[in-house]
Amino acid sequence: MKIYVIKKIALLILLLFGITLITFTLTKALPGDPVYNMVGERSSPEIIEKIRKEIGADKGIMRQYIGYVSLLAKGEMGRSYHTNRKVLDDIIMKFPNTLKLAAGAMLIAVPFGVLFGFISALKKNMMIDRFITGMSIAGLSIPVFWSGLMLMLFFSLKLKLLPPSGTGDISYLLLPSITLSLPAMATLVRVTRVTVLDVMNMPFIKTARAKGISERSLNMIHIMKNALIPIITVIGLEFGSYLNGAVLTETIFGWDGIGRFTMEGIIKRDYPVIMGCIIVGTLVVVLINFLVDIIYHYIDPRVRIHGTDR
Amino acid sequence: MIQRLKVPFINISVVLTVLLAFSSCSSRDRLEGHIYYRLSANPTTLDPALIVDVPGGSISAKLFNGLVKLDENLNIIPDIAERWEIKENGTVYIFYLKRGVLFHNNQEVTATDFKYSFMRILNPKGRSPNTWVLEKILGARDYIGGKTKDIYGIEVLDKYRLKLKLEKPFSPFLNLLSMTAAYVVPEKEVEKWGEDFSSHIIGTGPFILKEWKHNNELVLVRNNNYFSEKAKVKGIVYRIIPEDLTAVTEFELGNLDVITIPASEYSKYSNSPEWGKLISSMDGLNTYYIGFNCSRPPFDNIKLRKAVTYSIDIKKILRTFYEERGRLAKGPVPDILRKWEMTFATGYEPEKAKKIVEEERMKGRAINFYVTADQEVIDIAEIIQSYLKKAGFNARIKQLEWSAYKSAINNGEADIFWLSWWADYPDPENFLFPLFHSSNHGASGNRTRYTNMEVDRLIENGQRAESHVEKNYYYMNAEKIISEEAPWVFFWHKKDFTLRQPYIKNYRIYPIYSIDKGTEVSF
Repeated sequence: MKIYVIKKIALLILLLFGITLITFTLTKALPGDPVYNMVGERSSPEIIEKIRKEIGADKGIMRQYIGYVSLLAKGEMGRSYHTNRKVLDDIIMKFPNTLKLAAGAMLIAVPFGVLFGFISALKKNMMIDRFITGMSIAGLSIPVFWSGLMLMLFFSLKLKLLPPSGTGDISYLLLPSITLSLPAMATLVRVTRVTVLDVMNMPFIKTARAKGISERSLNMIHIMKNALIPIITVIGLEFGSYLNGAVLTETIFGWDGIGRFTMEGIIKRDYPVIMGCIIVGTLVVVLINFLVDIIYHYIDPRVRIHGTDR
Repeated sequence: MIQRLKVPFINISVVLTVLLAFSSCSSRDRLEGHIYYRLSANPTTLDPALIVDVPGGSISAKLFNGLVKLDENLNIIPDIAERWEIKENGTVYIFYLKRGVLFHNNQEVTATDFKYSFMRILNPKGRSPNTWVLEKILGARDYIGGKTKDIYGIEVLDKYRLKLKLEKPFSPFLNLLSMTAAYVVPEKEVEKWGEDFSSHIIGTGPFILKEWKHNNELVLVRNNNYFSEKAKVKGIVYRIIPEDLTAVTEFELGNLDVITIPASEYSKYSNSPEWGKLISSMDGLNTYYIGFNCSRPPFDNIKLRKAVTYSIDIKKILRTFYEERGRLAKGPVPDILRKWEMTFATGYEPEKAKKIVEEERMKGRAINFYVTADQEVIDIAEIIQSYLKKAGFNARIKQLEWSAYKSAINNGEADIFWLSWWADYPDPENFLFPLFHSSNHGASGNRTRYTNMEVDRLIENGQRAESHVEKNYYYMNAEKIISEEAPWVFFWHKKDFTLRQPYIKNYRIYPIYSIDKGTEVSF
């Protein structure tokens, strides 16, 4: 386990190095100049040059990159070109909101997605299976922009049950969480259904059934446990992506998360913000994958994370 | 099996019930006596030195004051200066400050604070993009360039008297001093917070910044020690809601008191007997236009520029697509600032356009039409494209996001582009000098790269003029030449519309955000 963790950390450092270098180069190669966004509609070439110098944009890309990496080494992420606020402070402030939203969405998506997928597999080709499959296709194809607005109109404007926007307690969290959970739930339904159907056709299930094991324990222990690996993989991927922010959902519901922050950074070519968000995003994805690996280790004895048992 | 399936469904309903039980009502817990406004984006900063966006400017007007300000009729009136004298052919301004004006930290405002605030904008090591506001002061350019350590044009005569000397006469100078960049800030607080001053704002205004939850909301509370008319509301809450439809929902639920009506909702509210009477409108100080790149073919040719103008039925677009949310533009200067007669230089004459296109051998030749990725702009661009096609032009729309778009048009990459200009201050000069003077090509405002020495001379004369009559004479002649030479297709001056709740009293909108100090509105 220790070796595995060390390996992962070494890999993470390499990954961060590679990702920052690629992102830095790509963002700099994009058309558009951050200074034009900072100076408004009227500014002389001298002032533009002065500001460019001030933010270090007058130096070559490699020098800028080295400057940024040395800043990171000091535990800083620089200041936003536009707000002049420390990027790290903003990320620390916004990340808990993103975490809440992602957790809220997964708390809804995982139980319902797995449950409906399981039912759908057990009731293959029956009415309920067709209904659930249809709903999951809808869940995947309806954009969150539309579903979010519909939920808002219904729960906020018609029923007056939930606040339409803002960042706050659970009442503010419900609508964006439900909106964000729909595509993840739909994916989980489909993955669970396919995996469960696969497992159901395996010889050991027939053996178990022949041995007279009750349907309930067959479903819960033999089928479900064996179907868990791909399901957990999907959960990990979805959760990781949500932790990197959900731009549309956060925009519709005015939720102050990493997604909106990143998007604003990209639109304004606010490089310190873009870089900060990407670094945090990378860390999050690596961490989630690490957790998923550990979960694999516990639910499937065939998977050994140190790789010496086989 | 049906029996077994009941269990999960019961679980689902239990979870939903629990979730809803946790939730509160859709109406927010409002702060008593506070008025709720919407902002579509988080203000970039509230530091007057750095503000370039409207949300930041609009809020800072309630937190800060300058020497002078604008009244609702766009006249310059005293703010912290109780009076001023203009001497030496309009090159020397002496301001007499009101006594007892306090910053929010109870420190008195003196002439030294103004000198500090102005020098901070012009600081060679600073990154203020607003230096142009004060660079007319004698010695300012040398100071920005790091050649001197003081600005000899700014002199503190005593605690309550400030002398400003200009390089040369500049008739809109007082207008410049009403802008955000000329607000006074307290030296001690600025030095204490440094780059974080924006989050710890201390000004002199009728409101005090209480809380700023970035990307969520800003709360301002009334300044009870304000030196002028005090606010009638206890405070202002600005809620940051990026999505228009969400803002409309919030408004209809009573969570917002005033909203700017989104274009998509305009007809719904204007046709409603209930809401229609609660709409306020204002003729905006802006001009929407298509700009030509006048520095290279094909649009260095006046005839072709005119052909584009002839080919578009602007009146029809304004009436149908734009639902009359603007007034037709006769030239670059908005009609409410224009003190002279002006007629339309060109109109919709498609046959004339076709003829010119044939004569100039432009038929089918591709021209790049740059637009931003805003949906309304794209719709307008497509309408224009179809008109141009009828005349024989082959306009290719190129959508770019704002940052790339600005780079492209500043660098002269577009043949034609769609843009608007909004007033910094209410003077025709603001619609002529930055946009058409040959010294301002590119990012300084003249993105069409229009060059006409006669226009340059007329604008410069207008800037130096001592009387309004003289000033208007020069500006009128400059505008007439510009209108004739058509570096722009002049579209319209957009109107602003806001909608308020029935219980909101004394609310009005102003042509320039800095006029609104937020003191009049009440419940």
